[in-house]
Amino acid sequence: MKYRKMVAFGLTAVMAAGMTSGMTMTGFAEEDKPTIRWVSQGVGETGWEGLTVPILEKFEEETGIHVEAEFYSFNDLFEVIETKCASGNADFDVMSVDVTYVSKYGSSGYLEPLDPYFTDEDKAKWDEASYTAGVWEDTMYAAPENTSCQELYYNKTLLEEAGIELPENDAEHRLTYEQVADMAKQAQEALDPDGSKGIIGLDFQQVSRIYQMNMLPNSMGGANISEDGYSLDGVVNTEPWIKAMTWYQGLVNDGIASRGYDADQLGDMFYSGKMVFMVGGTWTRNGMTCDDEIDCTYAPCFEGYEDKVATSTGSWYFGINSQSENKDAAAEFIKYFTLGEGSDMWLSINGDVPSRLDKQEEIANDENATKDMKIAAYEAANTAYPRAVTPVFGEYSTILDQAWEDVRNGADVEDTLNYAVEQFDSAVASYKQ
Amino acid sequence: MGGIHIKNKWLPYVLVAPTVVLICVFKIYPIIISVVQAFLSKDGAVTLDNYKFLFADKTFWNSLKVTLKFNLMIIPIQIIVSFIMAMLVNTHIKGIESIRTILYLPFCVSLSVSTVIWQMLLNVNNGVVNSILGTFGVKPIGFLIDKNWALLSIILISSWRGCAYWMMFFLAGLKGIDLSVYESAKMDGSGFFSTLFRITIPLLKNTSLFVLVANTTANFLLFAPVQIATEGGPQGSTNLLMYEAYKSAFVYSNRQRQACIVTILLVIVVGICVIQNKFMTEKEA
Repeated sequence: MKYRKMVAFGLTAVMAAGMTSGMTMTGFAEEDKPTIRWVSQGVGETGWEGLTVPILEKFEEETGIHVEAEFYSFNDLFEVIETKCASGNADFDVMSVDVTYVSKYGSSGYLEPLDPYFTDEDKAKWDEASYTAGVWEDTMYAAPENTSCQELYYNKTLLEEAGIELPENDAEHRLTYEQVADMAKQAQEALDPDGSKGIIGLDFQQVSRIYQMNMLPNSMGGANISEDGYSLDGVVNTEPWIKAMTWYQGLVNDGIASRGYDADQLGDMFYSGKMVFMVGGTWTRNGMTCDDEIDCTYAPCFEGYEDKVATSTGSWYFGINSQSENKDAAAEFIKYFTLGEGSDMWLSINGDVPSRLDKQEEIANDENATKDMKIAAYEAANTAYPRAVTPVFGEYSTILDQAWEDVRNGADVEDTLNYAVEQFDSAVASYKQ
Repeated sequence: MGGIHIKNKWLPYVLVAPTVVLICVFKIYPIIISVVQAFLSKDGAVTLDNYKFLFADKTFWNSLKVTLKFNLMIIPIQIIVSFIMAMLVNTHIKGIESIRTILYLPFCVSLSVSTVIWQMLLNVNNGVVNSILGTFGVKPIGFLIDKNWALLSIILISSWRGCAYWMMFFLAGLKGIDLSVYESAKMDGSGFFSTLFRITIPLLKNTSLFVLVANTTANFLLFAPVQIATEGGPQGSTNLLMYEAYKSAFVYSNRQRQACIVTILLVIVVGICVIQNKFMTEKEA
């Protein structure tokens, strides 16, 4: 009898242990754990694919929700989202949304409104600019992951080897683009006189992408698009754009800036010590394996336009696929990554400029905050220039990206800009109707 | 004469059915959808506005011009080169099978992979081709970023792979020519060129017609090298219609524009194939 009781007790204990071991902290049994799929950009261990691993693991540990992430290259992501969403695909739940696409995806019905998932208190935790950029026609469609700012990065070792000392500068007395180009040329002449080492003097990390390149005409007082968002005429075929593009083309023609490398390659050129100056962003330092060789300062301005300093801004958002069957879990993930512990981890891992007010304040009051972040906080508040707002951003971006690349490759500046105006007019004609 | 006698009259239909179904689902149905969508507005109303906007679009006309220019160059190049390759490997020397395999190998590499490889080879900064040219004192050429070179580079990339494929059809055609015909010609004193133009090419008529039609279709619909290597640039010099259609659908989300472009491409390809067919048939008559 005693033996039978012991066996029964033992079996009960084993069954109970089996049942409880299948539970997580939030009560999901192992087999019932929801799995959500996140479509994003940044392939590779040093990209988002590698950087977000601890965040996804921690999220699963906390909530029992498993996140399967699919990463694509920057350019491919837009096509993937377009293809999946246009066909009503429900095989993913969360998508990374570039800020400029919020209006397009929102108006196309690709994104689920987030208002039911985020309280007013939640929304007040982001700075106004970041929150409103995720809103289209009074509906919140996307939550900000972080924002971005531009800075001038330089390779201290190369400058030292070339015997060049960077002049004193600060937010009020910036280096000018012309000054930087001169120093870059001098450095190339000293370090690589015959060009055999392929050292680049000055370049833009996101070359031929309007995100970063448009800050050049913006820094001369040029706008990005007409007020109604449907025209480039009188906007890009104007003096600021012509002067800015001509200056950039001269930089390429003089061999100071590169030709033939794309935006996915130029960062690596800088990281591997093959570039002296690079206009990058707060994300730039993450790819570096040689921190001690690199330093940064405020983004330059143009001579004669010192009062018109403009820096690119805006970054990535999270949205829910309107066809998702796991909207609650998706919203929980987005909240975790934009406001919760995931956000803390992300800002610490990726070093981006926070959209969260508490984190911005933390940087402002932190004497030990890095130089990058101090500069970023200043630029975000003083020189950040909003991107073009238009529901035809795909056309806008494609046409002007190509214009920058064509000018880089030697096309006549004025012809290129006039052609861009014509192309854009044609492209938006059907939308205007 | 003999031949296979099939007792069950439905069997041929059953055997052909899977292919017919797949063609209907993946070819005919999308074509019908595209043609119909080209006449519908975003609200679903029947309209000609989509074509009106397209025909007023300079980018479209430039793209059409580039597409025609591209095809006028690539089709003859691919057909002539693949024919020459087939002639060269249509011999009976030791190891010819290996040479045929090597020549066919490029086709076994996917077009996207071969484009990426060629992109590296043709890179203006550190590509092998420019390095080799550099040893002869030639300045680096922007094969994929110079508007004078980009289209030619796309032709090179596509033909490197394409010629291997079309070569096999010509080779099969050449193998089908009875050797006794050549022997008779030789006995009659026919030289190489005389044999080529009076015997080989005329007897390859059916093969040539197939290659011409299939090659035209494939090249009018070419897309991958442009998307991967040049994105239609520089200055629109490689902006083929198929890529423009792709951008309309997947970058601009303008399905109507894409449907119009695809329909126009379809009409062009069908028109050219009909002309080619008629031309070849008339010549035979």
